[in-house]
Amino acid sequence: MTRTIHLSLDINASRYELDVETRVTLLDALRENLGLTGTKKGCDQGQCGACTCHVDGKRVLSCLTLAAQVEGKQVITIEGIAAENGDLHPVQAAFIENDAFQCGYCTPGQIMSAVACIREGHAGSEEEIREYMSGNLCRCGAYNSIVAAVREAASAVTTGVAAKDKAEVA
Amino acid sequence: MTIMETRKHGDAADGMVGGRFSRLDGRLKTTGGATYALEQPVKNVVHAVLVQSTIAAGRVVAVDTEAAKAAPGILSIFTPEDDLGLLVASDWHGNRPENEPFRPLPRQISFNGQAITAVVAETLEQATEAAKLVKVSYEEAQPVTSLDDPNAGEGRLVDMLTVGWGDAEAAYAAADVRIEAEYRTPREYHVPIEPHGLTAKWEGEFLTVWEPSQWTHGMARTYAEWFGIPYENVRIVSPFIGGGFGSKAMGYTYGAVAAAAARKLGRPVKLAVTRPQTFTAYGGRAATKQTIRIGATKDGVLQAIVHRGASETSVFADFPEQTGAATPLLYAVPNLSTQHRLVPVNTVTPGALRAPGKNPSAFGIESAIEELAYAVGIDPLELRLRNYADHDYQSGKPWSTRQLREALTVGADVFGWSGRSHEPRSMRDGRQLVGWGIGCGTFPVLKAASEALIRILGDGSVEVVSGAIDMGQGTYTILAQTAAEVLGVPAERVDVKLGDSSLPGATVAGGSMLAGALTGAVHKAATAARDELIGLALNDSNSPFRDTGANTLVISGGRISVPRGEGPSLTLAELMSAIGRDRIETQRNTLPEGANGPEDHKRSWTTMANIQGPTAGDLSMHSWCAHFVEVKVDEDFGTVRVSHVVSAFDCGRIYNPKLAESQWRGGIIMGIGQALLEEGLVDERFGRVINNNMGDYLVPTNADIPHIQVISVGVPDYDASVLGGKGVGEVGIVGVAPAIANAVFHATGKRVRDLPITLEKLI
Repeated sequence: MTRTIHLSLDINASRYELDVETRVTLLDALRENLGLTGTKKGCDQGQCGACTCHVDGKRVLSCLTLAAQVEGKQVITIEGIAAENGDLHPVQAAFIENDAFQCGYCTPGQIMSAVACIREGHAGSEEEIREYMSGNLCRCGAYNSIVAAVREAASAVTTGVAAKDKAEVA
Repeated sequence: MTIMETRKHGDAADGMVGGRFSRLDGRLKTTGGATYALEQPVKNVVHAVLVQSTIAAGRVVAVDTEAAKAAPGILSIFTPEDDLGLLVASDWHGNRPENEPFRPLPRQISFNGQAITAVVAETLEQATEAAKLVKVSYEEAQPVTSLDDPNAGEGRLVDMLTVGWGDAEAAYAAADVRIEAEYRTPREYHVPIEPHGLTAKWEGEFLTVWEPSQWTHGMARTYAEWFGIPYENVRIVSPFIGGGFGSKAMGYTYGAVAAAAARKLGRPVKLAVTRPQTFTAYGGRAATKQTIRIGATKDGVLQAIVHRGASETSVFADFPEQTGAATPLLYAVPNLSTQHRLVPVNTVTPGALRAPGKNPSAFGIESAIEELAYAVGIDPLELRLRNYADHDYQSGKPWSTRQLREALTVGADVFGWSGRSHEPRSMRDGRQLVGWGIGCGTFPVLKAASEALIRILGDGSVEVVSGAIDMGQGTYTILAQTAAEVLGVPAERVDVKLGDSSLPGATVAGGSMLAGALTGAVHKAATAARDELIGLALNDSNSPFRDTGANTLVISGGRISVPRGEGPSLTLAELMSAIGRDRIETQRNTLPEGANGPEDHKRSWTTMANIQGPTAGDLSMHSWCAHFVEVKVDEDFGTVRVSHVVSAFDCGRIYNPKLAESQWRGGIIMGIGQALLEEGLVDERFGRVINNNMGDYLVPTNADIPHIQVISVGVPDYDASVLGGKGVGEVGIVGVAPAIANAVFHATGKRVRDLPITLEKLI
């Protein structure tokens, strides 16, 4: 089976045209075809969360999503959440400030989950953050700092950057 | 003592050694800009997928590739029929058999999950599909699947791991109080979130390998020897590593396969080991068992420890997981005997996983010491202090520094240990049984030489260059801090280049020794660069300092000036411009002067032969820690939750507390996983690891982990390293599992001696 299809994908405010086999996942399309390697492959079977992206504002596991499924939808990856002028998203800044990672490989997925977790209204307490961030494994064990970063970013986001996130959903 | 209160916002001083400086690679890692091995853009690359054996012992009779070859996009299929023309490479110590052929896709099967065929295709999807079409027929033999297999036997004694003094058996027999128990740990796996793999590319006789590496120079040597090419012809590139924990410090067979395929095909080959394949593409921590007998007085004073341990290894190579590694070090005991056996089973050769040896060893001795505490009716903290070792009983040498007493007492204070009631099942929180336990840990100070290059550039910025790596420990950041302190520039002005075997030589990022080795090399090189710059400033005819009559100059805040502030003051850029230099470059290593030739370099950077152990000198040097853990156990369901952790560490001087705390917590969290979740389950019929994925081999999630308070009680240890630090990365996991087992006993009255502590063992 090697049937290729043409796809037009909207990713991070850019339009990408590509020809891929129908079975190519969104994760492999990003990493192998489009050079968007910020989205990580940790397990390729929906268990670790490293490949978390946003599709129409909701977090999805890009390893369990076919590239063909996201045509006509808005895909946001880790490369697309900082401001155009390079200013970091409050979640990114809070991750650095709180040392919420070591090796950095689960980090893009953690950050994409954290952005969504805050937007979903699930960052109200440390307990809630722990629960709603548990789809993203971190083997370096940065969990304490991730919780601290999400708490800090949640207050920053609700005060300053909410408009940007709303725009992303729309 | 320093209680590490979380302080996020730094100041200028944080750029110096000891400051809470944020990670220099933080921006890259949080924006997706950090490029890991398999993400390096390589033109014209093709994809290889491995086929692993489905039997544990026997031989491959035939590999039927007909259907696979007919699949679209297939370029080549490599099977045991193909002689890839490789030679066996050196082991870690540099020992190498002469001209022994290396068959990375062997006909002989030694374990289930052994790579036996590789399929190469234009795309990953095509290779993956065709790999499923490969049919292998086997001649099966009876495997030995675990330590408990009736055919496993007792194994063979490892003589060099036999340690003893006094007459342990006699003293045990004569002791008033005797306890004896067996402790077991299962197969455990590294599970870095970045799976292993590589892209290999040949240009003539030159090989470039993009592969996550804890040791670029050591792995370059391995590839060079496999292919019979000069060491200088191989370049390992590894600027970022998505977690290693011991698993990325050597070349594995899949690397040889990918590089050989690339050579045969004349195209770069990318081989991504799949997550399930990672469980057998390299080895995790071996399963262990150990019996400990302790003899003591009625007052709990140790008289004898007799320790007999065993670990599994593969049927073709030895890797002892040293169950007696921590046993002789933690307590004062006049009579001791430890022995360790290796039991060959049909498994991939086990490997080094965070604190190899020390970790399962501490599970044994730190569980046993609390069993003694209950046998004699003494508080476990008091029992540990009563048996405090004032020197190293094994080597007879004094400790360099040992703040373990402080770790125990400070940790107990912060935890609130004095509020504990000793009796099991005596503390409750509603329906939850509450238990408190202690576990101590230790890890040796290992020393190795390394090399670093410093450049002061015309714009006043600084470069630090080394082939060492950063897998998250913070090498980039602490080396910038080290250079910044010596050269008097802000750490933000220091650019650190790492992760490339073509750069100056460095020892392995393992054994918790890289920080000590590299800060020493950077400190030396930076000091030489500073001296050279000051010399030029005082002597160059165009320097404004030439006529000041100063004997020396000071550099601080990026400016160079005369001591006590009189005379000119220039930025480094202004001085470099004035003296007409675009760079000052110094390269230094920490090899002894009499052993600093090319062969010494190669031996030091590419083998572990020159690494010095903790008692190589007149002292015994180790990191130490004490963990205090609270668990809550649901009485009806037997579920265990860790609810509170306080851990106090003696790792000497801490170069960057923010990063060290992260490593300590990471070790503790891996220890929580080891205690409660992690276990490689082996199918006894086929020797197969059946939970070979991240949904079935459980590692801790965010919701499993409470806030963990970490405390530094260390003091600078300048015998251990140039800047006074001891190892940080591994000691954190040591002692966590027994602390949890001890807390579970305190909560429930049930002593679980085989990890992990799962609910069926408690109800």
